[in-house]
Order: sequence, then C-alpha cells, then structure tokens
Amino acid sequence: MTALLDVSRLAKRFGAVQAVERLDFQVEPGEILGIIGPNGAGKTTAINLISGVIRPDSGRITFAGQDVTGMRPDLLVRRGVVRTFQATTIYQERTVRENVRRGAFTTAYRGFWSTFLGTAGARAAARRAGEAIDELLSWLGLSEVADAEARSLPYGFQKVLGLGIALAARPRLAMLDEPAAGLSHDEANHVAEVVRRINREDVSVIVVDHNMRFISTLCHRIVVLHHGAELATGTPQDVTRDPRVIEAYLGTQH
Amino acid sequence: MMTTRVLAMSASAGVSRARWAWLAAGAVALLVWPLFVNEPFFLHIATLALLYTIGAASLHLVLRIGHLSLGHAAFLGLGGYTSALLTTALSWPFAAAFIASGLVPAVVALIVGPIVLRLRGVYFVLITFTFGEVVRLVFTEWQSLTGGADGIFRIPPPHALLASKRAYYYFALAMAVACVGVVARILASQTGRFIDAIREGERLAQSSGVPILRFKVMVFAIACGLVGLQGSLLAHFITFVAPGAYAFNESLNLLVMNVIGGMGSLTGPLVGAVFLTALPEFLRGWVELQRFLYGVVLIIVMLFVPGGLVELGRRTIALVREPEGRDA
Amino acid sequence: MSVSLLVPILFTGVSLSAIYILVALGFTLVFGIMRVVNFAHGEFAMMGGFALLFLLDRLAWPYWLALPLAALMVGVASLLPERFVFRRLYGQELPSMIAALGLSVVLAEGGIILFEVHERSLPSAFSGLIHIGGFTFPEDRLVVVAIALAALAAFWLFVRFTRIGLALRTVAQDREIAEAQGIDTRATYRVTFFLATTLAALGGALFAQIYALSPLMGQVPLMKAFIIVIIGGLGSVPGAALGGVLLGMSESFLNTFYGASVAQFASFGAIILLLVLRPWGLLGRPEG
Repeated sequence: MTALLDVSRLAKRFGAVQAVERLDFQVEPGEILGIIGPNGAGKTTAINLISGVIRPDSGRITFAGQDVTGMRPDLLVRRGVVRTFQATTIYQERTVRENVRRGAFTTAYRGFWSTFLGTAGARAAARRAGEAIDELLSWLGLSEVADAEARSLPYGFQKVLGLGIALAARPRLAMLDEPAAGLSHDEANHVAEVVRRINREDVSVIVVDHNMRFISTLCHRIVVLHHGAELATGTPQDVTRDPRVIEAYLGTQH
Repeated sequence: MMTTRVLAMSASAGVSRARWAWLAAGAVALLVWPLFVNEPFFLHIATLALLYTIGAASLHLVLRIGHLSLGHAAFLGLGGYTSALLTTALSWPFAAAFIASGLVPAVVALIVGPIVLRLRGVYFVLITFTFGEVVRLVFTEWQSLTGGADGIFRIPPPHALLASKRAYYYFALAMAVACVGVVARILASQTGRFIDAIREGERLAQSSGVPILRFKVMVFAIACGLVGLQGSLLAHFITFVAPGAYAFNESLNLLVMNVIGGMGSLTGPLVGAVFLTALPEFLRGWVELQRFLYGVVLIIVMLFVPGGLVELGRRTIALVREPEGRDA
Repeated sequence: MSVSLLVPILFTGVSLSAIYILVALGFTLVFGIMRVVNFAHGEFAMMGGFALLFLLDRLAWPYWLALPLAALMVGVASLLPERFVFRRLYGQELPSMIAALGLSVVLAEGGIILFEVHERSLPSAFSGLIHIGGFTFPEDRLVVVAIALAALAAFWLFVRFTRIGLALRTVAQDREIAEAQGIDTRATYRVTFFLATTLAALGGALFAQIYALSPLMGQVPLMKAFIIVIIGGLGSVPGAALGGVLLGMSESFLNTFYGASVAQFASFGAIILLLVLRPWGLLGRPEG
C-alpha cells in the first residue's frame, strides 16, 4: 500500500500532559481526511507534529515514501506538505495579492544572488509565479479584492485567503486547522466547496475540526481523537454510528 | 511588535517617476555643491553624514527582519580595527584591507547570527547589547593588538589622491551610494518581499517554506559586513580607531538615526543619519545641551511621531496640499 | 584558601550583592509587571546619590533621615516620567524601551548640566573600623549592608503582606486575570515604578557612598542590573536575589584573584551562555 502520508505511533508530551499518544493514521492520495475530537484531544498538536513545527517524542512520519519525522517546516513545504492555522493567519496590512505572493516562496524565489542581480531566470520565475497567482486568486474568487488590504476583508474571505497562501506553495498535501471555525453556515459551505475543488486538483487534504457535521459532509474518511489517542477511524457513516465515538465525543458534546 | 507596525505604514512598492526625478536632483546637488563651497568644516560633516548613512541603512536591514540590535557598533568597530591593523601593522593596500573590513564582521555575524537570531524581542536586544560590550572590552584589553584604550593612530588615507577633504567627500559619496544601493536593491527584490513576510508573520512565512533562520542570518551578515565597510571608511577618514568610539553610545546612535528618521522605509535611516550627524556639529558650543536634546527628541518621537521625520514630512506635505483633510 | 583571606572576600561579596540586589530588584519588577525594559534605571540610582549629597551637604541633615528621604524624593520624582512617558507606551515593549533610552540620556545629560561631569565623593557618615573576631571591617560598609538588608526585608514584607503587594503579584502573574478581578493595573504600574526607582535610588546612594558619585555613574548599576536579571530571569524577583548574590560573590572572588577585567569577561560570558541556552534565566519562566 502506498499511502501519501503515513503516521505511525506518534507521541508527544508537554510536561505532565500527554498531548498525543500512539497516533496512527494514513492519508491516501486524493483523499480528504477529517481529524475530529473535542478541544484538547490533540488535533492541533498532531498538525504541528506533522508540519514540523514541533518534534515528536517518538513515532514516525512518512511522506511519499520518505521519512520526514521532525523535518523543518520549510523543507516539508518544499516536499509538498503545507498547513494553515486555526486563527486567521494572514499578513493583515498587505494586499490580498501580496499575501498570496508571499505564499509562493518555493516557486517564485530563486536564491539571494539571482534575485539580487535580477537574472533572467529569477525574473522569469517571478513572472510565472505572478501569473499563477492571478489564476489562483480568480479560482478562489478573490480577484475582485486582490488589491484590497487583507484586514479589510470579511472574516470568511480572510479564511479563504489563508487557504490561498497555503495553496500558493503548490502542495500535494494541505493540512487545514479548523478552516471553518467562527464562520457562518454559508461561509463554511463556501470553504467546504473550496476544499473540494482543491481536492479535485489532486491535492490531498487533512481537515481538522470539532464540528462533526462540517467534517462528515466534507471528508472521505474520519479519524476520531480522544485524549491524544485514536479512538476510531472510518467513513463518516461508520464513525458517527460507532458507540465509542458517540459516548466519548458526541455524547458529551451534543 | 512596533517595528512591524511602523514598517507597515509605508509599503514602498514601486519607484515612481516623480521619485526618480527627486533622486536625480538630489544626486546632482550632492555632486555639485562641493565645487562651490570648498569649506573643510562642511565637507567634513557631509562626509561623516554620508558614511553614517551606510551604518544606519545596514541597521535598517536588521530592523526589517524584526530584530532590534543595540550592538551594531561592535561590527562598525570590527571593520574599523580590521582596516586599521591591516594597513598599518601589515601594510596591506587599502583595497584589500577594505574588503577584509567587510568580510571580518560578516564572518563574525555568520558565527554569532545562528545563535543570537533565535532570540526574540528584548532578549535579542539584551544579547546584542552584551555582545557590543564584550567586543568593546576585547578592543580595550587586547592591548598588544589593538593598542588598548588609546587605540590605533595615524591610519593612512586610502590613497594619496584622497588626502584632501573634498576628494574624500566624493569617495565617501560613491561608497555610500554603492552600499545604500545594495540595501535598497535587497529590499526591492524578492528577498525583500520575504524579509517583510518574516517580520510581519514569522510562523506564516515559515509555513510557506521560507527558511527563517537562514534568511535572518544571511541578512544579518550582509548588514554587519556593510557597517564594517563604514568602519573602514570612517577609520581612514578620522585617521584613528579607539574602543570608546564603538561603545554602546555609538550603537544607540545608529538605532536613533533609524528611530528619528523613521523605521518605515529606507529613507528614514538616511534622513536620520544626516540629521543626527549634522545637527550636533552645528551645536558644537553646547555639547551637554545637544546630548540632552537628543534624548528629548528621542522620547518625543516615540510618543508622538513613531514614524519619525519621514512621517512628519509626509504629514506636513499632506497638510500643505489639503489643509482640511484630517486623515491625509 | 585561608580564612584570613576568605572572610574579607566574603564580606565584600555580601556588600556588593546587597547593593546589586537593591538595584536589580526594581529593574526586574518594572519588566515583570510593566513589561518595560527601563534603560533609565541606572539614572534613578544616580539621582539617589545626588539627592543624598544634597541633603547631607547643603541641608546638613542627619544621615539616618537623609538616606530614606533621598530615595523617596527620587521615587516621587520618577512618577513624572511614569505619567507622561511610559503610561502612553504600556504594552509596547520596544517603543517603551527606546523612550527609556531617551530618558536615560536626558537624565544623565541633565545631571551633567546641573552638577558637572566630574566624580566626587559623598561625605562619609561613618569612618571607623570595627573589629570582630580578629577581622577588621570598615564601618561604612557594615552600615551599607545593614541598610540594604533592611530595605530588602521591608520590600519583602510589603509585597508579601499588604493588599498592594498582593495586587502587584497578581498583575505580575497574569495581567488579564488581575484586571478581571478588578485590580487597577494603572495604579499598580504607578506603585511598581515608584517602588522600583526608590529602591534603585537607595542602591545608588549606597553605591555612591562606597565608590564615587557622578552624573554618568548610572551606567554601572544598569549594567549590573542587566547581568543579574539575565542570570536570575527577567521579571523574576527571587531570580534577582539569586543573580545578585551570584554576581556579587563572583565579582568579589574574581576581582581579588584575577583582576577586574577577568571578572567582567566572566560575567559577560555567563550571561551570553545563559541567553543562548536559557533566555528566561535560572528562576524565570519561559514565555509561550
């Protein structure tokens, strides 16, 4: 089996808190995988571990067949793993276009000297990146606000812009940390639609959220986390019917 | 962070045609005035101001990556001592010593950079402050090499042709244009885009694949190399180096040039360098008062004009153009 | 090492430590509670020295009255910059720090304009020698140690047992929680700044008594406070105490056996190491 991402026996402890304990799951190519669990279940820690922001105490992360455990975030991005943040993390005081351009580091930046000297290669790379970004902006429905300051956008647009920054890096796997948190029903639907469209472009997606309805309509498979460990994995139908899940998660939350 | 807030106030994207016209006019003025005013006093101050634009601009680079250094004069000193020692003790030609005076601080920055640039906020301020003190102590204590507290005297001019004040002025002008040009070019290139991204959102930039520490170290090393070049040019101009000249006060001076000029763009440190070099020279009679005022100005700028003289100028222009517009 | 050598070194260490802690305590308080890196802290110490000189020399007040009053005068005067400079910049770490740099220049240069730059000595209130068990101690140093220890004890009691002290500790712990509990943070900041500068002024007055008094003397106490709070942890009160003892003792030993420059290099080396490995210091808390 050739999973795109293979997480095995991942563990991380913060002081007395076992944030993630023996976490196992795979992401298949072309899949949208949901990770769900109540607050404190270790969802964000899992993303931080995979994206290299923090190092796991033990366990192994394999991406496209290669061991990437504890690899620095910027090197992971080069391999095609990107992530977004729970809070709307964007460059508030810059235009929408500039925001997305800054996301395109891996494709647009050709090293210090070639950009300093303005070599033909560097200029061509910047031009191509610029074109790709205009395309991405129209694809995300952000063309009309491309020259607006990011902080002036409505919250839902800011969330989409956050996605756009991540997508500008041309990922193979995008990990989205609560992409719909704080959004209205319509805005959440819009984000879900964007995620589906990303997925159709051959990008695998991990969506982390605690909203079961959002996750189960969007994802092909769901991993349920509880106290840092995997509680159940399966299709949305299976998971929502699983008595352990109902007791541990749905039972207490709804 | 403040630097973020202030820097964001002026997104200097493209250079407009009007700006080119201003630049051209400025260049002509800088080239022509010494032909009419061959006054050593003015030439001396103008040369100093030009040399300090290099250091101030190089510190601006460090500020742009989101770090406030209070030890930049240490690198100025490293450049000055390198050039002084190589040309006096080892009789190197100036050109070689000049290159070395950029390389030595840059290499030192490459060594300490990966360690200190991990620290944020006040911790970076404190460690650069301490580093500056350590370097000054080394200059003072390593007497066999550095001449101790007295320093090194009778540093020769770079070239026999540069012995006159006017000639040195033109030399300094060329060097300042080149060095500041390097800074401007870096900031205007793709590198500048990601430098700003790092300052405004380090986590976000990192998750777009920007190697944060490598970028910071690279920019820091370039900045320290540039201020080292100023150190060399300054040492050969005033013909001596001494530890006192590279103490905390000098680091503070470079920072204050940025603060008073304005941290929003490269124009700020240039204006600040000229202002802070020229003003004290014209207030020579009142040395205590001028230092006192320097402190007062610093406080006032922080309280009322965080964007510095550049912001003040912009506000004034806006006020003149449309006196009614409050939020111009 | 013989006892005859050890005792004087220890005694010098204790007296240095006591003064250093007085100065560093205020510096760390202001950072811990107000988040201001007060580069002007040393100048308040300097002002303490000049206030004491004024009261002793011009007004010929008795020492026991002049010393606390000198410190209080500086504390009260410091409420002006607190009100008109720092209050406008609360919550902005770097701008407030730059303003403090400006204030430091203003106070030092103002001192030069008023008092001239040269060093002078304070009239010594005590000049005798005291013999204890075969050792001789200069009386003025003993007084300095006693006063410093008394001030530290008073500070501890104040913070530990008064309502204001409780408020200070709460704000230092977590400003938002403190505000939610109805603590007036502004008033707390004012008290903090007053306490900090009063302690610094007291430390500065004692320092000037042992060494010398000049408008530029503030740099030394500031440097010591820096080193101490980095060792102990920026914002940590126990850290300032520990750092003060470590610095005072090690300086006393290194000065005696290796000279002043080695002592300086050693303390700089130590704090660079600490900043790299443990920037929050020995007793501080790492920040999020």
